[in-house]
Amino acid sequence: MTWTCDQIEAQLSDYLEGLLQAPERAAFEAHANTCSECAPLLAEVRSLMTELHSMEQVEVPPQLVYSILNKTLGPRETVSGWQAFRKFLAGFATPKFTYGVASVMATLIIVLSASGISLRKPKVADLHPVNVYRNIDRRFHLAKAGTVKYFSDLRVVYEIQSRLRQDQNELQVAPEENAPKTPPEKQNDDHTRVQPKQQNRANELAHQVEMLAAEGPMVFERSFR
Amino acid sequence: MRRHSRRIFNVCYRFVGNRTEAEDISQEVFLRVYRTLGSYRSAHGGFATWMTSVTRNLLIDHYRRTKRDRQTDSLDDAMPVVENKESAARRPDQQALLNELSGQVQSALTRLSPELREAVVLRDLQQLDYAEIQQVLEVPEGTVKSRINRGRIELAKILQQMGVRPS
Repeated sequence: MTWTCDQIEAQLSDYLEGLLQAPERAAFEAHANTCSECAPLLAEVRSLMTELHSMEQVEVPPQLVYSILNKTLGPRETVSGWQAFRKFLAGFATPKFTYGVASVMATLIIVLSASGISLRKPKVADLHPVNVYRNIDRRFHLAKAGTVKYFSDLRVVYEIQSRLRQDQNELQVAPEENAPKTPPEKQNDDHTRVQPKQQNRANELAHQVEMLAAEGPMVFERSFR
Repeated sequence: MRRHSRRIFNVCYRFVGNRTEAEDISQEVFLRVYRTLGSYRSAHGGFATWMTSVTRNLLIDHYRRTKRDRQTDSLDDAMPVVENKESAARRPDQQALLNELSGQVQSALTRLSPELREAVVLRDLQQLDYAEIQQVLEVPEGTVKSRINRGRIELAKILQQMGVRPS
């Protein structure tokens, strides 16, 4: 089916944008390439589109942005002289700045104390790398020794406590052992094998406690006289 | 904001063909956007599309207002347009030719009727897709396509009448 010029005009954009299906495209070209009116029109529109697509963006006039801002947000206040200086100073009162200053001061203090520079009697010699190294080294070893001592103290305390706990357990165990029990024979052997040492110590402690108890009243009476 | 101002200014300029008017309308666009930001609903397409919509509405309003006292060939049309900085890389005679051609195309554009003009500007100069143009113009897609098509054909005919052969 051959197309008419009106149809060609109506489908011109679709053809140029590649939106026509193959049979339609063939029909379009069959007419457009041979028609004395449609052929020039097609060529002109094609080159016009190329021209339009290559037209560059125009530059925005520079004052446009500022005039937009003025009209929307309001004109910017301009201050000069004293007011400008005061506003500048006000910038220091922000939390960000204060935190910054505080952290810098803290860093300085830590560094100074670690390097061993005395703040009361500062000496130029303190800045000498050898001295700085010595000071840091000394402090490090002091700190290390202190830590080691702390942990070993902890260990001593822990061992004493565990010994005391053991002894308490044995005291409780001893009366139980002395009370009449009828354990099975097998267990009896285990008991005697596992606990001879503890049994001896428990007996010893019990004996000492009895002696103290016996002497108690006499000491008591003596103190009254 | 600069990105948007550049785009909006270009749409306005291509539509009205006059720098001063394009500036005024661009300012109006931003003012309107700033004031009505609360009524922007993201369901109606992206923010850029909404801004284009506002621009288009203001351009049509401007067209209707000035239709009576408009001159077909204003002085500004004859003045050279400051194109992109990239154009500085071209040879001066090439650039002059291009400027002249684009100036003539611009002039021809302002002779199109507003419905066809806006369709061609949005499609061929702003490279919006059909769906976006449909949202901006608030017409069915078929209407968008037919306006673009007729706009291009009319523009080619106007250029031919002006004696310009686009290369």
